[in-house]
Amino acid sequence: MSENHKTHLAVIGAGPGGYTAAFLAADLGMDVTLIDPEENPGGVCLYRGCIPSKALLHVAKLIEETREAHKWGVTFAEPKIDLDKLRAFKEGVVNRLTQGNGMLRNQRKIRHLRGRGRFVSPTRLEVDLHDGRSAALDFTYAIIATGSRPFLIPGLIPDSKRIWTSTGALRMEEIPQKMLVMGGGVIGMELGSVYATLGSKVSVVEMLPGILPGADLDLVRVLQKSMAPRFETIMTETKVVAMQETSKGMRVTMERKDGSTFEETYDKVMVTIGRKPNTESIGLENLNVRINDKGFIDTDIQMRTDEPNIFAIGDVVGNPMLAHKASHEGQTAVEVIAGHKAAFEPNTIPAVVYTDPELAWCGLTETEAQAQGRRVSVFRFPWAASGRAITMDRTDGLTKLIIDPETERVLGMGVVGAGAGELIAEGVLAVEMAALAGDLKLSIHPHPTLSETVMESAEMFFGTSTHVYRPRRR
Amino acid sequence: MSIEIKLPDLGDGIDSGTVSSVFVKAGDTIEKDQALVELETDKAVIEVPADAAGTIKKVLVAPGDEVKIGQALVKLDAADTPTSKAETPAPVAPQPDAVEETTVTQTPPATGPVTQPLVVPDMGDGVDSGTVSTVFIKPGDTIEAEAPLVELETDKAVIEVPAAQGGTVVEVLVKEGDTLKPGQEICTIQTTAAEAPATAPETASPVAFADADTSHIDMESIRQREKDAVALVKRQAQRDPSKIAPAAPSVRRFAREIGVDIHEVPGTGPGGRISVEDVKAYSKLLHTQRRAGTATGTIAAEPLPDFSKFGPIETETMNKLRQTSARHLSTAWATIPHVTQFDKADITELEKLRKAHGKKAEAAGGKLTMTAILIKVVEAALRKFPQFNASIDMAKNEIIYKKYFNIGIAVDTERGLLVPVIRDVDKKNIIDLAVELTEISVKARAKKLTVEDMQGGNFSISNLGGIGGTGFTPIVNAPEVAILGVSRSEIQPRYIDGAFQPRLIMPLALSYDHRIIDGADAARFLRWICQVLEEPFTVLLEG
Repeated sequence: MSENHKTHLAVIGAGPGGYTAAFLAADLGMDVTLIDPEENPGGVCLYRGCIPSKALLHVAKLIEETREAHKWGVTFAEPKIDLDKLRAFKEGVVNRLTQGNGMLRNQRKIRHLRGRGRFVSPTRLEVDLHDGRSAALDFTYAIIATGSRPFLIPGLIPDSKRIWTSTGALRMEEIPQKMLVMGGGVIGMELGSVYATLGSKVSVVEMLPGILPGADLDLVRVLQKSMAPRFETIMTETKVVAMQETSKGMRVTMERKDGSTFEETYDKVMVTIGRKPNTESIGLENLNVRINDKGFIDTDIQMRTDEPNIFAIGDVVGNPMLAHKASHEGQTAVEVIAGHKAAFEPNTIPAVVYTDPELAWCGLTETEAQAQGRRVSVFRFPWAASGRAITMDRTDGLTKLIIDPETERVLGMGVVGAGAGELIAEGVLAVEMAALAGDLKLSIHPHPTLSETVMESAEMFFGTSTHVYRPRRR
Repeated sequence: MSIEIKLPDLGDGIDSGTVSSVFVKAGDTIEKDQALVELETDKAVIEVPADAAGTIKKVLVAPGDEVKIGQALVKLDAADTPTSKAETPAPVAPQPDAVEETTVTQTPPATGPVTQPLVVPDMGDGVDSGTVSTVFIKPGDTIEAEAPLVELETDKAVIEVPAAQGGTVVEVLVKEGDTLKPGQEICTIQTTAAEAPATAPETASPVAFADADTSHIDMESIRQREKDAVALVKRQAQRDPSKIAPAAPSVRRFAREIGVDIHEVPGTGPGGRISVEDVKAYSKLLHTQRRAGTATGTIAAEPLPDFSKFGPIETETMNKLRQTSARHLSTAWATIPHVTQFDKADITELEKLRKAHGKKAEAAGGKLTMTAILIKVVEAALRKFPQFNASIDMAKNEIIYKKYFNIGIAVDTERGLLVPVIRDVDKKNIIDLAVELTEISVKARAKKLTVEDMQGGNFSISNLGGIGGTGFTPIVNAPEVAILGVSRSEIQPRYIDGAFQPRLIMPLALSYDHRIIDGADAARFLRWICQVLEEPFTVLLEG
């Protein structure tokens, strides 16, 4: 034992949840220690997730636009892709953000123990430092923010260089000729579309009846229609039953809904079937902390585990595994530690799929309303009626509002189309502030923008949308 | 300065009396001439006033005590002594007019201006601090006792701190955002000495808010904090995820911090949106209810067990109608001393008439039901017994007699009980009433009743005969004073003219407010109704 430290708050894991919590705690005057194997705060999101994938998606979108441009009288040559430079751009983005976080950490005088922490008691952690030494850390409070990692099915998925997880795909080492995306969720569709644009022949296989489970079908349909031409196939209700590595590639056996099977060989198979919380090897067995049947750590709405001084936030406590959920949970935990009566009780956690077109939703979805048997009014404003969308030649979009017909309150919003991820913030504000359809209708939205589609969806509730003629049925 | 107030000379040769009531207790602040005790003498019952203002230290007599003139009744910290703070007896500044020893005939208290602090009182309920959200006073203001000084947000509620004392504000010592503890000074006021309270409450020692020392791990305090969080967490378990309170995040946070469940706050904004003001209003209401609850001894609902431990359950939010009637019926049940009188009417002959004339009502668009007939009979009864067509105003000690005849009819709808009111029944015949009754029942079941349709009733009829039952005790629909409950009529043997005969008998129950209606009158009222039902001619004869 070469080092011994004492701290008021130990934060294990420096992803968006952990570093946000640590930063806030330091701002509130606490003595904070952050434990993370990376040099700088960032976690999966900044190093191997949201941030690098968005850099690549941005480039992919640009390439797609150059291909569309001939319709507007501008013709570009087929793009040449310098993979090293593209990778360098992506890594530059990652470095800039993580190094910036490192500076912010140092300015706040947060102690960083670079390594992996393990609880030995409810007040002590042992840390295996990256340089081979170890350290002991006595703490008053701790926040577990160890995140998640890609989920693989042992036995089905072989250990092979032809198998990628999101991490492998984001390394950008090569552009495979023929690629299978196993799992048509958000990560699979995002990264699949990047490689499709860069020149891979990408197929998607999804067990469920549709891609992007969780999103409303009408929104997914718009996205799928726009994206389908870029993909070889999108196979739903189909599952991978066997994989065999051959000299030509990975031979994948798939089974359709009717039980019939078929084989295809791919250069790479990207497995994006889900993520698994990192609850092992952090010494939870030495704590009175409960893991629920889904493998997540159980907490109350103050993010407190069964150990009164230990909190858990982010991917380890459950879905949705999103950075913005983790960071708000982290802030809640720190406020509780600081003695405030905080609780994690958001009205909505928005979700965004950063494909092109983008898809985003918040609050109640139509699917959820149906499942709850709740009566809602749904208004869809097609982007074909939006001046801004037409100027961009991007009418492949739809804005929808889910409204309580009795109180006229906005319960949820969904958008598919270019920039949907930015538009959804208005829906989040409306849902959180309990805005009424009338509030959105009466707020002047700038013209011409895509945000007008939100206002006009609200007008549709009153049967008076300017650019859609659909009188209210009485 | 401590003085004793003694029983003064009562004149008329009275030299003693028996204490029948004591109006004050230790700790009370009293004013000069305020009644201390009630005394029964052989001449009269008299109230003995205080001859000095101040705070009662000790009451020396109890009901039943025999007291003689000159005997001490209470020990008083007289108001004309300077304020002494906390336990440390502050050196008493010399007061020119201070009276050292006091007897029955006391020197008038000092009247010179005195500057003194007003402090945060004990807030009860384990509340040990609060944050100032509004300051209502500024230097120079003239305030009266009980005027609000500041609004405090505490763990439990938002409360207004009233002035213990009137006077002119000299200096305001707090500002918005300050955290105050009981005993802490809010402002200083200038008063005349006579108005000054004798003592200031004990000043609480300041509590350090500094974070725990990192070198010392105090698991006990952590566990204590966890316990404090239990209420929040419990709420999570009970919350229906599909029900989201229509309140902005800042409002939800505010509610959480002052310990109010946002889901219970009625919103006054568009679409039921909840504002910070709504949360404050609700919190104040809770606080008043809690205070009122302890004062009047109202029984608070016991906390419910977790029923899901015993078997599967389903939770449903009470609709507005149910909430309203639950509140209304609780109040009626708790405030009205109910008595229920039972009787039976032989309606054999009436039933024949009803059947014979049913067609006429049908032709008019109504149905000649027993309820329609009862409305007319009740109207006649109300006319004959006006105390049943009245309301009671306990605050003013008045009885309000009504010169109009509106009768409410309890209607069973799928949403719950509704009581639409048929107006001016005295101006309508039974056929008219039958038609209106049909219309109003349809309206009630179609959810078309307006608030006006359900207001202004003088008396209610609840007819459960269509469903069955031999009798029930209806609850008076306050502010009415009586209600008639009708159960199912059935053929019963009656001994008439030396033989049993099958007769159609209708059981009736009359619940009434015993504050205004005596038992004998109720028996007469109900008997009279039965008599009219048996021999309708009575109405013409006597009604």
